[in-house]
Amino acid sequence: MSNWERLVWNQRDALLSGLGVTLEICLLAFVGAIVGGLLLCLVRLYVAPLRPLAILLIEFFRATPIFVQLMWVNYVWPEVLGWPNTFFTAGWVALALQSSGYLAETFRTGIEAVPRGHREAALSVGMSRALIFRRIVMPQALLTAAPSLVNQFTVVVKSSTLVSVITVPDLMFQSQKIVNVWYEPIEVLTATAAIYIALVFSISQAGKYASDWLRRTYGLQG
Amino acid sequence: MSEALKQSLDLALFWEYRAVLLSGLLFNAGIFACAGLAALVLGLAAALLRLSSARPLRWIGTVYVELFRNAPDYVMLVWVHFVLPLLLGLALRTRIEFHPFLSAVVALGLVYSGYFAETFRAGIQSIPKGNIEAGRAVGMSEALILRRITLPQVVRRMLPEGLNIFISLFKATTIVSLIAVPDLMYRVSMVTQQEMQPLPLYTGAALTYFAIILVVATLLRWAGDRWSRSVLA
Repeated sequence: MSNWERLVWNQRDALLSGLGVTLEICLLAFVGAIVGGLLLCLVRLYVAPLRPLAILLIEFFRATPIFVQLMWVNYVWPEVLGWPNTFFTAGWVALALQSSGYLAETFRTGIEAVPRGHREAALSVGMSRALIFRRIVMPQALLTAAPSLVNQFTVVVKSSTLVSVITVPDLMFQSQKIVNVWYEPIEVLTATAAIYIALVFSISQAGKYASDWLRRTYGLQG
Repeated sequence: MSEALKQSLDLALFWEYRAVLLSGLLFNAGIFACAGLAALVLGLAAALLRLSSARPLRWIGTVYVELFRNAPDYVMLVWVHFVLPLLLGLALRTRIEFHPFLSAVVALGLVYSGYFAETFRAGIQSIPKGNIEAGRAVGMSEALILRRITLPQVVRRMLPEGLNIFISLFKATTIVSLIAVPDLMYRVSMVTQQEMQPLPLYTGAALTYFAIILVVATLLRWAGDRWSRSVLA
């Protein structure tokens, strides 16, 4: 029986359940980051009194390393806010915070790239501001932001490997657990690295095709 | 709860251990410098491979870039620290162990060389062909053309993106504590275990990194803009 069979194939249940947790935490974090990023961006652009606060938060989330943020959310928040109360929650919240800072800037670039004339045209045909935002600005901003959104999702997947440090049972955690049982790291860790590389590679390739398709279909320039 | 909030903002403990903690930052800086240099050199080499006219070389360059650009930092770090020495040991029939510092430099250097390669490639491709042809026409060698004509322009064009990669690299140096390089985060967790007080230490670490990265990034961007303008004008 080869080592690959013993250490990787026979452990597939653990590794697959880890992969499931990885995907789950990444999706949750990404949805959280989109909501948070949109919120931060809208406050920064349209709520003048809160603008400095939004800028401070965006800069803080962007300029603090994800590992430091993870430790901070995991150890400090529960004491101060009484939340998050599980490692899993702390994990996705930290990942979401980090990405929300980047996405806020991505959305802002997208919104600011919409030509003024479009807004003025909509105003002149009598659309309300909310309707203009929903029907004119947002669809175009999302098209511009699409490639960066996908890119940010790959960053989330890469950073998600760190949640294993706070004992969230993701793929990295399961694979290190197998290493600690058998003391034979070569096959398990190589397989784990290959899975992560394949995952991130397919996400960015799929994203590339998707944004090319969007651009072709809706006639947006690069 | 308000007691906890007060405690988390009371950075006296962080200040008390400043000598221990700040000497940890030196490890971050050292790994950043070594890994950054390695990433630049390897990245340039990989970009030249990808742009080479020989198909096999191009192919090697592409595989190299996609492999390291898509690998998570932490996975790479663990792989280089625990698997690479074993593989080298099997190949050379000796027992090899990597010092954690070396593993950190190798892992981060490889991952970030993938990012640099793409930036270099985009920069090199943006140079008008005529510049290189003009260099050849006056009899410059390929190496001289790269050094005197291509690279100076490439560096200017890749500056903003390059700075972003360097900032990411500096942030990534915080994970080296996980393979026991005694950097700032490693010392924070040590002191935390000793004092049983995580709040001020982790808050202090977050604020320290935030301040360093914000200040350095702003200064570098400003200097880079000025330099680009002065050279282009």
